[in-house]
Amino acid sequence: MSKKLIQKIEAWHPIDEVQAHCDIPCGIYDPHHAQIGALTVVRMVDLIADQVKEHGKGSTAEFINGMARFIAIKEEHAELVKHETRIIWGDFIKQPHLEEFPQLNGLVHKIMQLGSKARQTADRETALGLLDAVNEFAEIFWQIKGKETKRVKAPYAVTEEMVVPIL
Amino acid sequence: MLRLLKVRGHSLYPDYKQGDYVLAASSPFPSGKISADDVIVIQQPGYGLLIKRVQQVLGDGRSFDVRGTQIDSTDSRNFGPVQREHVMGKVIWHIR
Repeated sequence: MSKKLIQKIEAWHPIDEVQAHCDIPCGIYDPHHAQIGALTVVRMVDLIADQVKEHGKGSTAEFINGMARFIAIKEEHAELVKHETRIIWGDFIKQPHLEEFPQLNGLVHKIMQLGSKARQTADRETALGLLDAVNEFAEIFWQIKGKETKRVKAPYAVTEEMVVPIL
Repeated sequence: MLRLLKVRGHSLYPDYKQGDYVLAASSPFPSGKISADDVIVIQQPGYGLLIKRVQQVLGDGRSFDVRGTQIDSTDSRNFGPVQREHVMGKVIWHIR
């Protein structure tokens, strides 16, 4: 009996699955935090630009305080993106996944690089590039989990696209 | 009794890959008792229906130390020896 024949049979008669688990069955992984981090970076870059537009090169206490807060949050969330991506890549992703998605290692490296650049600059293109890469990573993650995804406008103060699973 | 099952997960990779099929025979097994290196299907309480390789038959043959091939496979290192009554079948055919 060939695998193709069984797959045809399975099309009209479901076959029970037997689990070959890795990690603990209750292991919880989700790229959502990385996506929120990337969206936050975009939002902070926008707020920094607004602040400059509003105050010019002013050096009032209010200006400096606002800027310091935006930059601190941008730093924190760019690092959150890198941390969350590393966890999924290091703990959840297995060799068969890397074979199925040969672009994964390069994509993770890109996220690390863009995450660092997003900390170093207040460049919106960089922030959007980081978000794009994280969304692509989320799409692959959910594909591995056997879940379809869709792209929706983020329901936040920034409305860039984000990938969500269809659960 | 024979049971056709589909493998999900990578615990026995590269021997058994996700999407492979196995034919499992329940007791009495056509090829006799369960021995080390056999691949068995178990109904492990709290973990569900699992497929694992027997690393060692313990004691009087009523329990088994089972393993996956990956460092982080969920196996006897997590849930201890598998009792004989939880063994649902022995893989007699691997369709890859």
